Amino acid sequence: MDEVRRLSAEVVVIGGGSTGCGVARDAAMRGFSTILVERADLAQGTSGRFHGLLHSGARYAVSDPESATECCVENRILKRIQPDAIEPTGGWFVALEGDGPDYSDKFLRAMERNGLPHEEVRLALARRLEPRLTRRAVQVISVDDAAVDGWALALGTVRSALEYGARVLRYTEVKGIGLTGGRTSTVHCRDRRSGEDFVIEAGFIINAAGPWVGRVATLLGIEDVTVEPAQGIMVAVSQRLVSRVLNRLRYPGDGDIMVPAQTVSIIGTTDAPASDPDRLVMPRDKIQQMLDCGEALVPGFRQARGLHCWVGARPLIRDDSVKPAETRKMRRGMFIFDHASRDGVEGMLSVAGGKLTTYRLMAQEVVDQMCLKLGSPRRCRTASEPVPPPPTDHFVAGQVTKPGAGAEAPEIEQPDWPISPAGRQRPTGPRHITDRLAEAESTRADDQIICECELVSRRALVSALRRHPDDSLDDLRRRLRIGMGPCQGGFCAARSAGIACQEDAWSAGQAVAALRLFLRNRWIGQQPLVYGELLKQIALDNWMLYGTLGLEQLPASQEVVL
Amino acid sequence: MSEVVVIGAGLGGLMAACELAGAGLPVRLISQGEGSLSLSNGTVDLLGYAPDLVWDPLSRINQIAPPHPYQVIGSDNVRRAVAALTSHLPDGYLVGQASQNQLVPTALGAWRPTALLPASLAPPQPKDQSRWLIVGFDRVKDFYPKLVAANLSRTKIPGGGRVTAIPVRIDLPDNPGLPGGDVSAMTVARAFDQPDFAAAVGRQLAQAAGQAEADAIGVPAVLGTAGHDAWRQVSQAAGRPVFEIGLVPPSPPGFRLNQLLLARARQLGVRLATGARVTGFQANQGRIVQLTTDAAGHGQTYEPTAVVYFPGGFESGAIAMDSTYNLAETLFDLPLAGLAPVSQLISPSYSPNQTIFQVGVQTDKAMRPLTDGGEPVYTNLYAGGGLLAGAIRWTEQSGEGIVLGSAMAAVRGLLDGIGQDLEPKLAAAHGRRTQLSSSHPGQTPNWTDGAP
Repeated sequence: MDEVRRLSAEVVVIGGGSTGCGVARDAAMRGFSTILVERADLAQGTSGRFHGLLHSGARYAVSDPESATECCVENRILKRIQPDAIEPTGGWFVALEGDGPDYSDKFLRAMERNGLPHEEVRLALARRLEPRLTRRAVQVISVDDAAVDGWALALGTVRSALEYGARVLRYTEVKGIGLTGGRTSTVHCRDRRSGEDFVIEAGFIINAAGPWVGRVATLLGIEDVTVEPAQGIMVAVSQRLVSRVLNRLRYPGDGDIMVPAQTVSIIGTTDAPASDPDRLVMPRDKIQQMLDCGEALVPGFRQARGLHCWVGARPLIRDDSVKPAETRKMRRGMFIFDHASRDGVEGMLSVAGGKLTTYRLMAQEVVDQMCLKLGSPRRCRTASEPVPPPPTDHFVAGQVTKPGAGAEAPEIEQPDWPISPAGRQRPTGPRHITDRLAEAESTRADDQIICECELVSRRALVSALRRHPDDSLDDLRRRLRIGMGPCQGGFCAARSAGIACQEDAWSAGQAVAALRLFLRNRWIGQQPLVYGELLKQIALDNWMLYGTLGLEQLPASQEVVL
Repeated sequence: MSEVVVIGAGLGGLMAACELAGAGLPVRLISQGEGSLSLSNGTVDLLGYAPDLVWDPLSRINQIAPPHPYQVIGSDNVRRAVAALTSHLPDGYLVGQASQNQLVPTALGAWRPTALLPASLAPPQPKDQSRWLIVGFDRVKDFYPKLVAANLSRTKIPGGGRVTAIPVRIDLPDNPGLPGGDVSAMTVARAFDQPDFAAAVGRQLAQAAGQAEADAIGVPAVLGTAGHDAWRQVSQAAGRPVFEIGLVPPSPPGFRLNQLLLARARQLGVRLATGARVTGFQANQGRIVQLTTDAAGHGQTYEPTAVVYFPGGFESGAIAMDSTYNLAETLFDLPLAGLAPVSQLISPSYSPNQTIFQVGVQTDKAMRPLTDGGEPVYTNLYAGGGLLAGAIRWTEQSGEGIVLGSAMAAVRGLLDGIGQDLEPKLAAAHGRRTQLSSSHPGQTPNWTDGAP
């Protein structure tokens, strides 16, 4: 029997959402050798399934002033250190006829009291700036909300972690945690793509698995880290119907936030308990509710082209079993579980709750606490050092890792450019559609646009394929945005599969399997919105993929029998 | 003035217009846009799967399980329609036959059954050990030869064995017509309209095929925008059989077919009103008596003797669903068959065969849409094509067959109705012009657009 491969790290971070990526970056920046393991793709869970709002704090001004202030501070920090993931759209709180003055008065007083920047916008000006805003708007207050891309945020953060020597293992599931003398010592992993089991010798473990944090704790026999995931549904329609974030000026409730994100407008969200974060549902009546909410803010929202909907699980924590002295209950619902004092297990902290806006702060606090436990206080620098942009099409030759081709780990993300002693070269990657358009225009002569909706170039796709030959089309979608526009992959999915085959990244069978999997996955978020233009699009896509290309006749198996 | 109005300029509308005009009726063809034919890949699919692979579509059409448009249309109309389509195109333009499917490669490398197809798209009969060179062009972004070749090669062909497909990618010669790397298939096709360019590529193909010892060459379907001249030039220079492989839109073979049928319709005296969307109508005593269009700048009304309605189906928006999941036929509000709560029409699991796509209009044998009680909704409204209930066309590979067969059935139904249903004046005009057009179709009086 083969020896099980062993890796080792001072810190193992479990979970590749925004918090886990932030923890890995912070730990690596403080000089700890760090490995991050993620069960699926980076930011595939809650960090990729929200409405894309970077909070200004205004939403919590009335209900939770302390967390409002923290959001306000973190909002400014992230805009400074991570501009590639953030579009500073600004935001409005809008009171509609019938909303009543009660909340509005409280809101303004709370904003004043807590020193949160805000400004009343005259209605005439508001209508000029946002012509689609409902005529029922009676009061408009501007705040510092922004749009944030969860994938760009996580990928940029990971890129920074890689620079500082961290290793990132995607599609790696934690199957067990080993103890030696009452202290965690090993993390037992399985590469979900190759099936290989391996072990990481861990000096310390930070469990940042979001809604799955309780499940990781049960690996140590700790059953009372109880996550009560609350599911929220989001609906994206084509085009930016508004230029800034719109919030309803009322007690926070369902469907009162609309965010212009990249090329779409997102309305969200609902709030309902979910028993299992792996099994979230999107009932049609909730979709209808979201469409009504969109219509209330922006009349005509129902006529906009529905693109996609999704549901995310907020990692809300219930922790009745512990007293405040035992775990530090953070404001804004952030928890850090000290399993030493709480459960008698040394060498692991769990972090959960919180918001994407405060991911950096959560990482800082949990790594601070780890430093104390390790007796090695080291200063956090994440608030001041800029995060590099997420990788785009930068490819450094010789960094291809292919399974079975001498790859030393299941998959190790590599930094995307060499770090020179003189300092980091900071390529600025195109993140917004206008940047991609400018790039497309400048390379029109020698590059092709593979996804016309999102202006993804062939060069960007090929470079991503070379760096990540094991990526699925969905992984590539999260990196590049292919298949996220109006055609929902009708043209670009088959193209991308063809290019992957042409570039020898995938076999024909793999390409066909990837294409089918992509279509199946896309359907989950399409099917509640299959009306209007999307219904037409699905019919056209079926004509192309099945009528013209004969996809049904191409099983992924080795031999095709007609 | 008395005229039949055909709505929709896809394959069905063009066919019906040509047939009716050929029979001597004054015909106006109104279309919102260019028609879907130029988006198609140019093949004439009658029935490919039912649900197993079909070899003789014509004989299977009458055995198809209900409910299906073919039950009303019948194989006789499909046979006649295919013959009529062939007659409206240059000799030899289409090859194949309605009673025999053949397998053609797709741009993913699948083998797909079709009945008739433009000669340029017909590969040689695939045999075991056939060596086919599969060529991609650098400028064409919907065709990747390694994927096509690998999939073709791993498929067992009927009769046993496999084709050996060899992929190669070729850089097209520089040409003023090909600015930059990012061009559409239509732009590439226009470059092939230049004989020098076509011959130069043909010589590149000859060299590559020689090296690969290939006996036939498959290329993406970009060989010219008009007819088969460019294909012939390329083939001649290549010195071997060259066949095109159909692409997703924009697809030059569909464009060519569209141009040929449009020219034929004009030649037969069909008056075209393109860019005009029919937005309203008036009915009287169970007949449609007026249509209103919305065209750029002004509207227009027409007073048709009969209406032939081929607007497409879900892909064109002729059948549409709003955001509260209500389905409707969008112009005449025709009754729809197959309606059910949305949860039964759209499944949470992915499939191209969603039940919603079976929703559509039911008709009598003359293709008149029926009420729930089984009566024609309007006695002078004939409809077909994508509007008809009961088929998943892309999976069955039955799109053109249903369109053509229902167009033929509608034409026959309409002509049968003349004398009983249409104005005597029109019947007289019909007799007069049939005489003219039967012997000299090319000398049919030229009805210019908008002439009284």
